Amino acid sequence: MADVSRIIIHDVDEAFHEQLKTLSGNVVWADGKYAPCQGCFECWTKNPATCSMKDSLHEMCRVAGQADDIVIITANCYGGYSAPVKNILDRSIGTSTPMSTYRAGEMHHTLRYGKKGMIKVIVYGDINDNEKATWELMIERNRINHGYQSKELVFVNSVSDLEVSKL
Amino acid sequence: MKTVFLDCSPKTKLSASGFVASMTGVFVSGNKKKMKLRTKADHEAVLKELEDADTVVFSMPLYVDGVPSHVLPFLQEMEKWCRDNDPGLRVYVIANNGFIEGRQNEPLMQVMENFCIRSGIEWCGGLGIGGGVMMNVMRIMIMVFLGLTVLKLAISGINTGVFPEMDYIYGFLEDLAVVLLLGCGIITFVIWLASCINRKKAYGKHYTRIMLPSFVFIIFADIFFTIISILKGGIFRGWFSRKKPG
Repeated sequence: MADVSRIIIHDVDEAFHEQLKTLSGNVVWADGKYAPCQGCFECWTKNPATCSMKDSLHEMCRVAGQADDIVIITANCYGGYSAPVKNILDRSIGTSTPMSTYRAGEMHHTLRYGKKGMIKVIVYGDINDNEKATWELMIERNRINHGYQSKELVFVNSVSDLEVSKL
Repeated sequence: MKTVFLDCSPKTKLSASGFVASMTGVFVSGNKKKMKLRTKADHEAVLKELEDADTVVFSMPLYVDGVPSHVLPFLQEMEKWCRDNDPGLRVYVIANNGFIEGRQNEPLMQVMENFCIRSGIEWCGGLGIGGGVMMNVMRIMIMVFLGLTVLKLAISGINTGVFPEMDYIYGFLEDLAVVLLLGCGIITFVIWLASCINRKKAYGKHYTRIMLPSFVFIIFADIFFTIISILKGGIFRGWFSRKKPG
């Protein structure tokens, strides 16, 4: 049975995907061959933890929900995730429920799968100082929003700088 | 002066982003154009419209702490277009989130500012709205209440011969006052934003919200989603269950 305690999401390419598949964890290639979120909330209100669109992200929130830790490898896009990776995150809000609570003193949704372990984000490409500051904020906001206990943010110039075996 | 308002909500109609963009547009002078930015098919028409524009206002929902994924490819295309055409645009952003704290829009604002820096266009600031969804629901409800009030006035006129029945009018005005009170922060900040657009001034970053204590807003939000989930049936399909992949 595949190790589901960790999910790795990346937007690189097929060759990199094959390399990542040698690691433990569920590896998802953000290849962009899926539709963006339509904001219908039916993953909360109609078919919980299921997207109304029947493409490869139909049950992505269930896959993400199983994992305690998440590793995201993404190109930099103005201090945020690349469009294909962000698309996966937008389509995964079924990992929470429509009910609200307080976390870190502010309003958030309650977590369908409970608190999580670690969110690690590796950003590659050309990143300026403003964007680095935005990334720091973004990951902290994501950590609180998704209920992760800890976070790690890494900047690399190129994916080729990454030692896959150490991920 | 020409201002283009981009409603970046994926929804085809009745979007909160479209509503706040339209509300801002009421207070903006000059030539105005409101457009949808939903899919790649919209990109060309939007860029064409920006050719002779002075100002662009992006109005969008906050998705997972950032810009919705369908907007990002447009920003990248627009960045290239800006570098090729040097359009000298001023950019304002309205962001709208489902949580009560407007400040939760801050990462989105920074992403949009970073986009402007890379594109060589002028970042003029943005307004982050907490609970903007509730403002949208209220404006739909107040239109329904207006319709019902007119209907009740007509029926009472026919049945009793009393027209207009002032109690119905006072009842509607009370509902309208509640909407205006809860929305007074949003309305004030929207007028301020429009004033900066008109004067071609930087707005800075400002955050406002529906004027409710957060615990009251949370109760309303929970009731709202409970009703919708009963109507759509999700409440009976493992509403909170830790579902595994099929």
